[in-house]
Parts: sequence; C-alpha cells; structure tokens
Amino acid sequence: MVSGDGGQLYTIEGFAAALIMIITAYLVVNATSVYTAGDTHINDMQLEALGTDALKMMDTPVSSDVPSPLAEIITYTPVGNMNATFKTMFMNYTNVSGAGPIHDIQFNATYICRKDPENSITIYPLASSRNLTGGEHTVRATKWVIVDKAVCEDSEKPRAVLVEVLLWRD
Amino acid sequence: MARLNDDAQWIVLMGFLVSFSFFFLALVINQATVVGQTTAESVIEFPKNDIRDVRHVIGESVRIPYPENVTVYNDITLLSMNRKSAVVDYRNFTLDNTTYIQIHYNNEVTEYNEYNWTP
Repeated sequence: MVSGDGGQLYTIEGFAAALIMIITAYLVVNATSVYTAGDTHINDMQLEALGTDALKMMDTPVSSDVPSPLAEIITYTPVGNMNATFKTMFMNYTNVSGAGPIHDIQFNATYICRKDPENSITIYPLASSRNLTGGEHTVRATKWVIVDKAVCEDSEKPRAVLVEVLLWRD
Repeated sequence: MARLNDDAQWIVLMGFLVSFSFFFLALVINQATVVGQTTAESVIEFPKNDIRDVRHVIGESVRIPYPENVTVYNDITLLSMNRKSAVVDYRNFTLDNTTYIQIHYNNEVTEYNEYNWTP
C-alpha cells in the first residue's frame, strides 16, 4: 500500500461538513423572511375591530328607556337620504375628527332590510365620508339593530336591520 | 495504514455539534412562515364579533311579544344568511316563569351553539 493515504477520514469529514453547511444555507435562503405573510392582515383586523367598537358605542343607549343613537338614526333617516349625525358620531369614535391623534380612515355606511312578504334584501345608504371607487382595500364592520318603528318601507314593526360599514385607510 | 494524528478529535466533535445546531436552527426558521400564517388565518376566520353581535340581538328579540317576534326572527335569519354567510337559528320558550333560549350559529368554519335561560 502506498503511504500517504492517511487523509481519508479527513476527506469524508470534510464532505460531511460541507453537506451540512450547504443544506443549512439552502434552508435559510428558502425561509425568505420571518415577517410572515399572515402579519399583513393584522392591520385589517385592527381596522375592523375599530369599526365594530364604534358601531357598538353608537348602539349603546344613554338610558334604558330610550333607543340607542344608532336605532334613532335609522328610524328618522328618510329612505335615500344621508344622515349627518351618523357621520359626525362615527368619525368622532374612529378618531377621524375631534381632539387627539387623527386617523385617515374613510367609511361608507349602509343598512340592510328584509322585504317582508317576498323575503328579498334591500340596501339603504346611511352615510359616507367619501365615494367608493372600487379600488380601496376595505374591511367590513357590522351591527345588528332592532328598531321599534316601521322602517324598510314596510308596515311591520319592530324590525331587525343589519348596519354595514365599509372602512378603509387612505 | 499510516499513523493518523488523532490529537484534535474533540475539535472535530465540537465542529459537528455547532454545524448540527445551525442546521436545526435553520429548520426552525424555515417553518416559522408556515406557522405564523396558519395562526393568523385562524384568528381572522374566527367570527368573535359576529357571534357576540348576533347573541346580543337575539337576547333583545326575546323581549318582543308573539306576533311581532316572527318578523324579527325572519329578519335575523335571512339577513345572516345573505349578508354574513352564516346560518343562524334560535328559539325561546317560557316554562315555570323561566325563559329558555337556544342559539345556533354556523358559518361553515365556526359552529356555535348555546342553551341558556333567564328568570
């Protein structure tokens, strides 16, 4: 046997180490980033929670024997009209206007009724801070309201209507 | 075989240990994306506010007397199906001065059932 073949073990070890390092580098490069794709939805969730909270505050009556501001707004807004009170309250609660840090949130509010005998759905506009063009990245906040008047262009009362607000940031 | 100089075996061993630990760290980082996405998705899909809201409105509707509460019941179930993609059903009855209420909510991802009572 020729002398000088003592490095065989070192060669094998070198190959093993190289293999481990290459696989490690591949895994690290493959992991793109630790900021996960799911994290981008956190902004949406925060906006949705803000809108839901604002609607919940608007549906809270000041005392037990009067309807909530939101129920009154739906009751006394004629069909097809915008309601300025809703706009003012909602923009105050979402910190779009008022004192303190100002958010650049836009919204579009509607309420949805069931037509009584035919069971169809009608959407009535309620208030809006800007027109929707379709390109906005909106989230939806909803609130059930029971109104004790004949709304929805029907004679039946009381009615349950669903208030829907689309929110987006500029 | 020529004599192998095996003086530094522990260095080789440490080298292996370090490279293996890097390997497993890389595996963990590699999986972090998948785990974060799945968690965030399940949080978004869970309709916490929807269930709270529908419970609240059903609780209110229980106080409405008989012929009128049918209209409100039809409003809630039809609008839930149309606008919230959720099947909502509820019924309430009074027995021995206690009002029992059953609430069912299902939006295909989350199912919620409740059986409750108020004096």
